[in-house]
Amino acid sequence: MLAPGVAAAQGTSGPALDYAVTCQGCHRADGAGTPGTVPALAGSVGKFLRVPGGREFLVRVPGVAQAPLDAVLNWMLDRFGRDDVPKGVVPYTAEEVNQLRRRPLTDVVGARRQLVEALERMK
Amino acid sequence: MTDERRWLDRLCERATRALARRTSRRSFLTRLGTALAGTAALPLLPMARAATESRPPVPDDAALHGEVGDPKSCSYWRHCAIDGFLCSCCGGSQNACPPGTEMSPLTWIGTCRNPGDGKDYIISYNDCCGQSLCMRCRCTRTEGERPLYLTMKNNDLLWCFGTQSRAVNCSVAVVLGVATRT
Repeated sequence: MLAPGVAAAQGTSGPALDYAVTCQGCHRADGAGTPGTVPALAGSVGKFLRVPGGREFLVRVPGVAQAPLDAVLNWMLDRFGRDDVPKGVVPYTAEEVNQLRRRPLTDVVGARRQLVEALERMK
Repeated sequence: MTDERRWLDRLCERATRALARRTSRRSFLTRLGTALAGTAALPLLPMARAATESRPPVPDDAALHGEVGDPKSCSYWRHCAIDGFLCSCCGGSQNACPPGTEMSPLTWIGTCRNPGDGKDYIISYNDCCGQSLCMRCRCTRTEGERPLYLTMKNNDLLWCFGTQSRAVNCSVAVVLGVATRT
């Protein structure tokens, strides 16, 4: 969680500000989401990188629009998925994000369910 | 002298025996233990510490003149993207829900510039849920708002999600921090 005390001292800028204004309203400051309504990012977002298609899904899921999406995604993975991201994963780049955003997801819930099932089969 | 000592002896003896009849060593130890544990636990209470640590910087509204400094006005600086009834007019404040309502954990977040210091503040417009519409101080301001097909950035929607009730009463405008562009 971005401690308000830190924000007090330095202000919020960069990906942290983009997260606050674009994502935090639903996913909350600590990435906890709201069970049954909004999925948690904390302890969850990094796991998507373990299954095929997960890396692409994080970019294509709607709602995460806005300009420097690669920076916000890398920031989120560091903040909420540090323990879950598999070793050797390279950060998102602007080019990768631009390519993936050209193919928006139509069935987000279905796509997510498939990935979660694939994750559960790995256990 | 002898009589007096006897009298004092008798008094002390009687008092000691009475005390011994009423109490036990175990009860004394229990009370002493409670007192010690209570004293040790006192600094753990969350009182003022939490309040001082987790408060983001909120500019002093007293420095502002007119409606831009009035939390009951649509022109209040924090209300630059509010759509709904102001909780300040509905028994709550710009930070707190009225009694009997619950603050939605899901919220619309944007930034508003404070005319007092020229800084942009991150503002969270949480709906207060659980009572019917307040109907006082209706405001519709749209700075940074986007059309309805961008649902995450549209403030016409009701945001009572994750609450016990979906009924909207009013909206608060909480300062979350200062936004700085690097």
